[in-house]
Amino acid sequence: MASNIIKGDKSERELTFMGKLYFPEIFKGMAFSIKHIFRPTVTLQYPEEKPDLGPEFRGRPVLVKEKDQERCVACGLCARACPPLAISMQANETADPKERFPEVFEIDMLRCIYCGFCEEVCPEEAIVMSPDYDFNFVDRKDAVYGKDRLLIDKNQLQPRLNFLAEKRNKQFGKNINFKEDNNGHILRDRTND
Amino acid sequence: MSNKVYAFRDKVNLTFFPKHQDAIYRRLEDKHTSVEVDEDPLGTLMTINLGPQHPATHGVLRCVIQVNGELILKSVVDVGYLHRGVEKLAENKTYQEFMPYTDRMDYLAPYSNNVAWCLAVEKLAGVEVPYRAQWIRTIACEMARISAHLLWLGTMVMDAGAISMFLWTFRERENLYDLFDKMAGVRFTVSHCRIGGIQYDLSDDIRKGIINWKENFKKEFKSWKKLLTNNGIWYRRNIGIGVVSKEDAIAMGFTGPSLRASGVPHDIRLFEPYLVYDKLDFDIPVRDEGDCFARFQIRMEEIAQSIRLLDQLLESIPSGDIRADNAKHTYPSKNEVYYSMEGMIHDFMMTDMGVCPPKGAEIYSAIEGPKGELGFHLISDGTGSPWRCKIKSPSFSNLQMLEKMLEGSMIADTVVLIGSIDPVMGEADK
Ligand code: SF4
Ligand code: SF4
Repeated sequence: MASNIIKGDKSERELTFMGKLYFPEIFKGMAFSIKHIFRPTVTLQYPEEKPDLGPEFRGRPVLVKEKDQERCVACGLCARACPPLAISMQANETADPKERFPEVFEIDMLRCIYCGFCEEVCPEEAIVMSPDYDFNFVDRKDAVYGKDRLLIDKNQLQPRLNFLAEKRNKQFGKNINFKEDNNGHILRDRTND
Repeated sequence: MSNKVYAFRDKVNLTFFPKHQDAIYRRLEDKHTSVEVDEDPLGTLMTINLGPQHPATHGVLRCVIQVNGELILKSVVDVGYLHRGVEKLAENKTYQEFMPYTDRMDYLAPYSNNVAWCLAVEKLAGVEVPYRAQWIRTIACEMARISAHLLWLGTMVMDAGAISMFLWTFRERENLYDLFDKMAGVRFTVSHCRIGGIQYDLSDDIRKGIINWKENFKKEFKSWKKLLTNNGIWYRRNIGIGVVSKEDAIAMGFTGPSLRASGVPHDIRLFEPYLVYDKLDFDIPVRDEGDCFARFQIRMEEIAQSIRLLDQLLESIPSGDIRADNAKHTYPSKNEVYYSMEGMIHDFMMTDMGVCPPKGAEIYSAIEGPKGELGFHLISDGTGSPWRCKIKSPSFSNLQMLEKMLEGSMIADTVVLIGSIDPVMGEADK
């Protein structure tokens, strides 16, 4: 590969006669500015106008709610993977002795850095990144989101789930024909098992 | 210590970290003096704190300067206001968990940092990365270089007094960030690189988006060049200011564009190729003068070279996987995790234990970031987190030269000098 070391030439440091005159350059600068006045504006009038964010955007992490119940099985993996230790949870057993659910699930939004690692490691696709980014609080206690604010219905998160199914899930290794309802362990009716 | 010598120290009331403040002022007053001199007899010397909140210092850099009129006689540069203990954090996180923290070091080119970290860990643990992933990383690294240089260009010209240029470069940078958003999911702190590959694939739409942006940017870039070439004001603010000789540059550890502006043709992309740089054509601009203007020229040419690299990189992206398929080194694909017990076990093992390089392994791996040589020195003790992580950050080593550059120059040049070495305090202070 032809990579060279190129030295500049001395003339690039010298001003021409017009440059030395000083004033023409000031007018050149003005002309540039005036030209830019007539260009279309790019400023977004936030919050009246919102940016157009696709499903790939990583907003605040939320829990998927399916059939009025969380998908989460309280395995604790997201809390382990979270770099700034934003997630804390307390597991409990459901009526079915085979399953567990998170009794308490809290994400401290002041600690969260929106890295998406929780979503990446979750074995149940129970925690995903929502497009929601503009939320605020007046108190530090308000910033700890519990299950009441974290649980979002699956229908609302469908764009992100579709995006993940397409982009992330099958990308390398063997192509496995995976059935989506595998992710709903906790929802399964085991009365006839 | 007689009161006569430490004149300034006795006049101020030190409340905030008094010992540290005291040491700084003492160092300033002691500089370049070998004999005890009488207190400035005419009272013409003045001590000024430039920063840490001064907008022209590009973050929280503090320069304490002693001036005689407009002339800077002595200076002491104080870093550390943005210290977050990143190296220590690395020792307490798994290799994978630490990756988002690197975004927050040189926050103007997060992707370069991600890549530098992942390459270091991959070298340490012997992870093979698929060719396509390396290719996409190279694309993103060059985009990051352009975006970092755009910010430098805008702020540097603004430091010299022209504010509108800043708005124009920021508009282009915004477009670049939109592309990062489409590619990685977030505009700024991308966290897109993974040990053993990357997170999501680069779709053809995004590739076309980058090509469109690039064609548009070429025109913009040409017009900026036209504005700054032969511009008397700009030339006079830069030529002959802050000259750093070749010897000084090497002795004080200058890196990156600043080093090349002093006549040392060192670029890691060329001499120790990483990623896919050995497959690409690009030139290394070098200048001998070592002044602010030379540093400006180098960075402008580097933008042009990055565009040239993007031209070659985007023509066609090799097909293949984007992450290594080895459960001991990287996460398995999500389908495998959802489907099979082995996949799930690997998912848990990777999260809890992470990549475990061999015990005692020790490496140094560096890349050419936008600011210069960004290196990681890692020592493994066989567990999932490094036993020691030392970060060689380019901004920190570039700042070592600043004291010497400031002394003997005018007050009005300080902002241009700081702008021309382009420090990012998030990285210098770590
Ligand atoms: S959200 Fe997912 S990773 Fe976190 S505890 Fe629930 S199932 Fe486990
Ligand atoms: S997005 Fe990252 S920081 Fe936020 S909760 Fe998930 S893992 Fe933690």
